[in-house]
Amino acid sequence: MNNISSMRKKHSLALAIALCMAAPLTQAADLNFSGFLSVGGGMVDDENGPAYGGYDEEDLTFDNNLLGLQISGTVSEKLTATVQLTARSENDYEVDAEWAYLSWQATESSKIRAGRLRTPFYMFSDFLDVGYAYSWISPPREVYYLPFNNVNGVDFYTTQTLGIFDTTFQAYFGGFDDELDLNNDGILEEAKTRNQMGIAGTLGKDWWTLRAAYHQADLWIDVTGISMPVFGTLGNFANALTNTYNLPANANKLLVEEDSVTFAEVGLNIDTGRFVAAIEYVEFKPDDALLSKNKRGYAMGGVRFGDWLVHLTASQSKDDESHPEAGIPVAPQTAPLIGALQAVAASQAVDREVISIGTRWDVTTGTALKFQIDDVDDKNQGDQKVFSVALQTVF
Amino acid sequence: MKKFICAVATTLTLGLANAAWAEVAVIVHPSASFASLSEDDISRLFLGKSKSFPGGGQAVPVNQNEGAAARDKFNEAVCKKNASQYKAYWSQLVFTGKGTPPKDAGDDAAVKALIAANPTMIGYIDASAVDASVKVVYKVP
Repeated sequence: MNNISSMRKKHSLALAIALCMAAPLTQAADLNFSGFLSVGGGMVDDENGPAYGGYDEEDLTFDNNLLGLQISGTVSEKLTATVQLTARSENDYEVDAEWAYLSWQATESSKIRAGRLRTPFYMFSDFLDVGYAYSWISPPREVYYLPFNNVNGVDFYTTQTLGIFDTTFQAYFGGFDDELDLNNDGILEEAKTRNQMGIAGTLGKDWWTLRAAYHQADLWIDVTGISMPVFGTLGNFANALTNTYNLPANANKLLVEEDSVTFAEVGLNIDTGRFVAAIEYVEFKPDDALLSKNKRGYAMGGVRFGDWLVHLTASQSKDDESHPEAGIPVAPQTAPLIGALQAVAASQAVDREVISIGTRWDVTTGTALKFQIDDVDDKNQGDQKVFSVALQTVF
Repeated sequence: MKKFICAVATTLTLGLANAAWAEVAVIVHPSASFASLSEDDISRLFLGKSKSFPGGGQAVPVNQNEGAAARDKFNEAVCKKNASQYKAYWSQLVFTGKGTPPKDAGDDAAVKALIAANPTMIGYIDASAVDASVKVVYKVP
């Protein structure tokens, strides 16, 4: 039910933006169309190993396709309406709005936007879907793992020159409803954020840009449907903790209900023309929930040879699992409970290293062909190799 | 030997002549209050990092069409990006609502006519096409 109402909101928002844009359209005013396309495929080395990057078959499948269309129209001199519609093969090409906002140019260098925005979690968040804009087929999954890519709200964005440096600053407030697959088991959990806010800033000069961002939100994820031994589901387990064992505090440490979570990021991006490099580190703190403290990062370096770019990336996830069993006295009778709580917490902690090597070939201006091999070393789930290819364009 | 030197000299002369012919001039309206701009000023305008001329006053950069020799030379020399890198750079801004690339305004003649008629615009044309209707503020050698 929750989901249906959020879908409705989504459509009415898109409709409102469309109406805003229809006005200038009828006056034949400035309407800008631009788009991007990514056709991607891949295969894994070992079907018995863990799935990675959306691939789990030893046969080459082309099911990582994405079409995006952006339309922006001038409502008045300082007011612009923009909608970016995307259709993904993984969602059966259902059209979704990643961006849909009204933008007010407050001053020459500052704007205020309201609507659906991309959450500025990462260095490449803003153009995550536009593969043509970066070297990889998609940014390293170890770091670019957060499901909440969007936020419905308002933001302030400004660019300033600070001495010889170029700076940008963004602050936003909002919330989002989403569904996510916490355990990669195909079962979607309902999730939402409220009072979500964050800031992101960059400082750069010519060929380098430094970035830092910090976000916080009240997070809900319905984890009660996650299956577990003996109790059947995590929801039953939490009920038993509260009612049977009189441990409501530990049940609370398990559930993700109005937990005050934070996410911090630092990054450096370099492009000298000849050499490219990027480093990014992120940390997610879950408050009192079964979610792990996520500590993830990557370092990438690459060299351009004419129309070719070759790059190497090392990425790592090293999570600290939570301790929902904290406070339970250790005794023979409580051992099974403590064990069950620790097992649930451990299932959320990722310990993985990935080495990726890839190429980008700029076939023509606006079109790039990319190949990538990911060598995945998952300490809990085993090893895997993923081979992928993508043709990415902007128009 | 003499023949060889002669051939080298001819090649050099032709090469130099060719280079001189391919010089790109950055132009503004003749009424502009400044006599010249630095490469950095121009690069910042064409990469959307700045929206006004150093003395103040709105600046609207215009490009030549994709594939034009002057455009490629200008982007490589001033913006330090080849055609693909330039496109990738702007796609980072376009799809995030953070900027719009300079409009593609045609060839030397079309850009010159636009600049001559618009005091806020800045563009670039082959140096050989420059006349009194525009003011040269920088030359890409």
